[in-house]
Amino acid sequence: MLEAQGLSKTFYGTPAVTDVSFRVESGEILGFLGPNGAGKTTTMRMITGFLTPTAGRVTLADVDVTENPILAKRSLGYLPETLALYPEMRVREYVAFRAELCGVAGRDVKARVDEALSKCFVDDVAQKPIGNLSKGYRQRVGLAGALVHKPKVLVLDEPTVGLDPRQIVKVRALIRDLRQDHTILLSTHILPEVELVCDRILIIDKGRIVASGTPETLRHQMSQTPSVTVALKGEVPEADGILRQLPGVAGASRIGAGGETRVTLDGVPGTDLREAVFKESILRGWTLLELTPREASLEDVFVRLVSRDAAVEVDTLPGSIDRNADTPAHGTEARP
Amino acid sequence: MRAFLAILKREFFSYFVSPLGYLVLTSFLLVSGWVFMVLVGALNAPETPRMALMSTFFTNVFQWIFLMLISAIIAMRLLTEERKSGSIETLLTAPVSEGTVVAAKFAGAWCFFIFLFVPTALYPLLLSRFGGVDPGPVLSGYLGIALIGALFISAGTFASALTKNQIVAAILAFVLILGTFILGVARDFLPFPALRDALSYLNILEHMDDFSRGIVDTRRILYVVSTVVFFLFLSTRALEANKAR
Repeated sequence: MLEAQGLSKTFYGTPAVTDVSFRVESGEILGFLGPNGAGKTTTMRMITGFLTPTAGRVTLADVDVTENPILAKRSLGYLPETLALYPEMRVREYVAFRAELCGVAGRDVKARVDEALSKCFVDDVAQKPIGNLSKGYRQRVGLAGALVHKPKVLVLDEPTVGLDPRQIVKVRALIRDLRQDHTILLSTHILPEVELVCDRILIIDKGRIVASGTPETLRHQMSQTPSVTVALKGEVPEADGILRQLPGVAGASRIGAGGETRVTLDGVPGTDLREAVFKESILRGWTLLELTPREASLEDVFVRLVSRDAAVEVDTLPGSIDRNADTPAHGTEARP
Repeated sequence: MRAFLAILKREFFSYFVSPLGYLVLTSFLLVSGWVFMVLVGALNAPETPRMALMSTFFTNVFQWIFLMLISAIIAMRLLTEERKSGSIETLLTAPVSEGTVVAAKFAGAWCFFIFLFVPTALYPLLLSRFGGVDPGPVLSGYLGIALIGALFISAGTFASALTKNQIVAAILAFVLILGTFILGVARDFLPFPALRDALSYLNILEHMDDFSRGIVDTRRILYVVSTVVFFLFLSTRALEANKAR
């Protein structure tokens, strides 16, 4: 449905995106993940025909964007990162304008606009000027504008930036619902978002794709050090010392609290420590309360993949790699 | 075509929700009303030779300098605002060509320019109550104004495609428009007859003189139309250049 082949973009001799290729199948949600400045927006702008690629090609519903831009863009709905609406227009007027802009026939405009407004939960503000709306509403008005002509492909650049937690949950649910009718490419630098919303992930850093796959496969591939959390009943001060002796254990640390002992074991790559821990517990007469293999989280994957300085930058941004889905995306990005 | 009309409509009506639009409308009415009043007074004096009032109304330099300024102001926001806010991204990722966007925006602003003159239709109506007004030259006079307006606004559209700053666009547009005007007027001082002939088409006062006397010269129309197309072409190229940067 959407295909990028060898996309590259150079700005005044500085490469911004280098040889990016991927496909999004119809009905799929692909998450485009990367630190700020990794080339997400540049890639999306090339896909939408706003920027001409230095090399490579993009096809939308099998039509080349550079060769036949008008036809290709018929099947495109785009929510840009810098959401710029016309503040003086009323919501309904604006969405109708977007419909006409995309060639929706005059007699269909009203029905399409109604549908888009209710889909994006903005029908209650239909008569309000956009300039008076909150950021969350404006974001959804932008989304309504992007899908009013029922495009096959939706490209959403950071759709949840600047929304409050309840709105984020709403918009994510909305995006998941949209996959029935649209193929979606979504960019974000919020990790839980891709895990919650996307079927497949593409991690981009310094203009190159560094990993791709479903959230699960990525996590599996990247769990280099299998670690296990063990909880034992009662205070067992010697537990970490004993477990450290087991074959395949690289390290152990113990936290004893509230009548139980918790030990975290880091294994040598390629080992499964669970069986050994279980047998050892029986041998010692410990009561095993919990034995949990801990998979590498997407953060681990992400931080490991993106280059060092970029990873540091991500770390310093509060909320940008926050596990909690309902945390507001405060301070995610300072915008000019 | 539907997209063209959608953009045109949005552009035209956006003037009516901005203070700038009303400022332009009001100041234009004040100035043209004052010019009309002064002309009525002057032509009433017994020592003035007899001439058609509307014709002098269309051709006086003072009003034209003011119109140059107003055109620059009408056109200054056309592409600058879209580029600065980023809404140009929405327009250019819609299934429309850059040329359509430029032409539709120009047309929207031009419609507003023409709209400025709607209330001035009252002047010939008023005059016809007190004396004879020949409708032909009045109509062709308005046609002449619409054409020159298209010329001015297209120059302003081009200026607005070059920068993201409205003030810069307005100044640039005014310089472009005034430059065209001065070239046309200054041609009498030029040594080469061929150049003089070419530039005579640039002379807005001569152009308006013809039109206000009922002379609709197709060469003049062709000159204006081709200049407008030229400016819009340049604007389109300027817009496309951003894409490939």
